[in-house]
Amino acid sequence: MTTILIVEDEPEIRRFLRSSLAAEGYRVVEAENARRGAIDAGSHKPDLAIVDLALPDLDGKDLIRQIRGWSSMPIVVLSARNQERSKIDALDAGADDYITKPFGVGELLARVRAALRHAARPPSGPVLRLGDARIDFGKRRAWRGETEIRLTPIEFRLLACLAKHLDMVVTQRQLLAEVWGPSHVEHSHYLRVYMKQLRDKLEVDPVQPKYLLTEVGVGYRMLADEA
Amino acid sequence: MRGYAWALAATAACTLAGLAMRGRFDLVNIAMVYLLAVVIVALRHSRGPAIATTVLSVAVFDVLFVPPQGTFTVDDVQYLLTFAIMLAVGLIIAGLKDSVRRQAEAQAQLGLVAETERIRSALLASISHDLRTPLAVMSGASSALAERGERMSAEERRALAASVFGQAREMSEHVTKVLQMTRLEAGAIELERDWNSLADLAGAVLRRLATRTASHRIVVDLPEDLPLLRVDASLLEQVLANLLENAVRHTPAGTVVQLRARRREGEVVVSVEDFGPGLPDDEIERLFAKFHRAAGEAAPAGMGLGLSICRAIVRLHGGRIWAERVSGGGLAFRFALPLEPEPSLPAELAAG
Repeated sequence: MTTILIVEDEPEIRRFLRSSLAAEGYRVVEAENARRGAIDAGSHKPDLAIVDLALPDLDGKDLIRQIRGWSSMPIVVLSARNQERSKIDALDAGADDYITKPFGVGELLARVRAALRHAARPPSGPVLRLGDARIDFGKRRAWRGETEIRLTPIEFRLLACLAKHLDMVVTQRQLLAEVWGPSHVEHSHYLRVYMKQLRDKLEVDPVQPKYLLTEVGVGYRMLADEA
Repeated sequence: MRGYAWALAATAACTLAGLAMRGRFDLVNIAMVYLLAVVIVALRHSRGPAIATTVLSVAVFDVLFVPPQGTFTVDDVQYLLTFAIMLAVGLIIAGLKDSVRRQAEAQAQLGLVAETERIRSALLASISHDLRTPLAVMSGASSALAERGERMSAEERRALAASVFGQAREMSEHVTKVLQMTRLEAGAIELERDWNSLADLAGAVLRRLATRTASHRIVVDLPEDLPLLRVDASLLEQVLANLLENAVRHTPAGTVVQLRARRREGEVVVSVEDFGPGLPDDEIERLFAKFHRAAGEAAPAGMGLGLSICRAIVRLHGGRIWAERVSGGGLAFRFALPLEPEPSLPAELAAG
């Protein structure tokens, strides 16, 4: 049975999280603060953790860093609206995704499923399908329908980085560091230019993309069709 | 410090004038010239420089003009009176000026308080108006579910729960806007500027608002070569979202809402145009007033607040925002953001 750890201090929020996750067949472990959460993360060996960023005893991102010290289980953070900075910090500390309060259960379950799927899947399969576009990372080739399209080495690296975190958000900083190197983490305009190029090449409507999505103020998220 | 420099300069000027007058005018008239200096310095500066001018003037006047000249000694007691009067005039005028300044400050403070008070009461009115209805729906629907749920059909239960969810979302949007406006008003928001592409932001907004704009046809027209903008992405996204939501709210379902951008000299102009009934000119002018609602309208939640937020955000970015009528009767909201020199591109691109 899949176990999910909830670290959240508000009992009413824990209550509806517990009922909806239990209704989906997950086993739920609840912790009302970071200290308890760290202990439960060790003793219950959950498959995924949902961590509120505003905990009474410790900043959520510090708990995430702590957990990341010994576990790679997916972590989804709950954050308040208009707090891009704390989302980014949590993601850079090792969280896999976030959801903004207030949220519907549908949204939450989708994130949880995606994170669990991601953890279970071997890191980025060799072939990705984005609508009528197909990318073969093994052969480093890409097609749009039957026509092969040319991607530059950087475009490939960027796609691979997004694909490695398929369905999950990747922060701007992570992308810049992985694709261009740690000295380029401030060069956000590189990303803007390359994401546009990729969308022009891969999306049907580059302005309203379906696969290469922008998470405003945070980073990007890649979705794919089941290959 | 400047006040004391003036005290020195004024006394020196009077002394020159006095020396020129000597022999042709009475000493009392020369004293008058010094008195003028005291008055002028007292008016321009605070009490300290006024006293300094008086003391300096008395000393110089005494040494240079009052017999016996060249000494501090005073033969005629009446000059002591002159000195006393000069000192009194200086003090009185400096005191008057201080009290006038304090009054002006108090007045300004009162004005600020009144403005803050006006905003606060407008906020409160907006909160109570726009939050009461959803709260009533939520408590009614949820109590019906909790207390009578087992007597209802599954369909009814779902509908009630869905309405609680829908109203809660509305309310959350509204509360977010109120908080945002309060923070903008208080100057508590610091821009997190970064290079961003308008197409990126537009795509994200359209995705986020997909359900709320489903009733309309949204047409996006952004030129391929639009330059990057150094803006706060989250805030600019809100501007786009508020303008699009506004357009959708105030125009009939099925009509077109257009999101366009054009590069002009030194700036980019972004427009959200609708093909609705539009507004009379005087209404257009008042659109950006705080918490304005179109006259006689059953105002939807957050109306007016959205536009004030847009204006505050655009201004923070050094831009301007305005509304105008478009041919065909619709309304266009446009904002212009200044362009900055674009940063250099990575090697792979530069090499082609």
